[in-house]
Amino acid sequence: MKQLITVLITIGLMGYGFGVVAGPEEDRIAFQKYYTSRFSDTPLDDFINGIYSIDAPSREQWEEIEEFPPYEIDIEEGQVLYETPFANGNSYATCLEDGTLKARHQYPYYDTQRQEVLTLELALNECRQSNDEEPLKYGKGAIAQLSAYMALQSRGEPINVVVPDEPGALAAYENGKEFYFSKRGQLNFSCFDCHGSSAGMNVRADRLSPALGHPSHFPVYRSKWGGMGTLHRRFKGCNEQVRAKGFKPQSVVYRNLEYFLTYMSNGLAFNGPGARK
Amino acid sequence: MIRCFTVNFSILTGLLLSSALVLADDFATKWDEAEAKRIEAAELGYEWRDTEKILKSAKKESEAGNTEKAMALVAQAFEQSKDAIAQSQREKENWASRVPK
Repeated sequence: MKQLITVLITIGLMGYGFGVVAGPEEDRIAFQKYYTSRFSDTPLDDFINGIYSIDAPSREQWEEIEEFPPYEIDIEEGQVLYETPFANGNSYATCLEDGTLKARHQYPYYDTQRQEVLTLELALNECRQSNDEEPLKYGKGAIAQLSAYMALQSRGEPINVVVPDEPGALAAYENGKEFYFSKRGQLNFSCFDCHGSSAGMNVRADRLSPALGHPSHFPVYRSKWGGMGTLHRRFKGCNEQVRAKGFKPQSVVYRNLEYFLTYMSNGLAFNGPGARK
Repeated sequence: MIRCFTVNFSILTGLLLSSALVLADDFATKWDEAEAKRIEAAELGYEWRDTEKILKSAKKESEAGNTEKAMALVAQAFEQSKDAIAQSQREKENWASRVPK
């Protein structure tokens, strides 16, 4: 009996050692390797450019668009919103750590006291509410403009999401991971089906972008939207494209998804806001 | 003769009315069952995009007297939620197999 227990424990430890029970860092390494192997012509740090990192003809058009970016007006609007004091005289800077505007790259993170993932957009709205201002609607409009202005300040900063060694943080990460790889909706697609195994393939006239680097360039100005949108707006849109009911932007589900997906891009750089088709 | 016709007409009207009431009752029961299934799928986080809309359309069709169409829509919504719940159970088993190793 004693021998049997010893054998079982040894097998368990070996399983852990060989990645059967993978932690976030093992996941990230495997995830990045998956894309760099599939798109071996694309340097790792170029994946932040989404579909343009693997589609040369589209990239040319996009680079031309970026000469006069369609999100420029939104950045200006975002700056005005950011700098306009609240009715009580405080401002967004009052809420941010050290008052620094350069905060985009500090999100998302797991707040160990609150036991939940915090995102930039959530923090901006909580800042408003703590200063007796109405929260902004998530997804588009002013929240995306503010986020765009702040994203611009953090361009070039490395993505460095941390999963603290505690059950709540790991559970949030695992929840986002499970969501990412689970098929849902009437069309029975997971996020990974489109942006992993089918990345680079065509869906009607569009090529599917690789997931690696996805969160780096949000918020984005999408031609299809005719305006700016946040990452959670895109999550919801993706879910509904496969005919699943989308979740509310800034719901726990989408914050956990952002946490997992951003962690997968650790080591790359933030380059938002972006312009997409 | 006229009295006989009147009696027959009353019986016929009664039958039609009672069958309409039975159908309406049946619709309400089926609709409630489909709605409960939709909520079950939603609680699992697996509700499909159009299920709620289909149920709303079913109610409209029923109110317009198109009971047959309304019943078909309810059945469609019920099946969608059943499939969504099965999908959630299937994915609990399978999602991890897609993670790059």
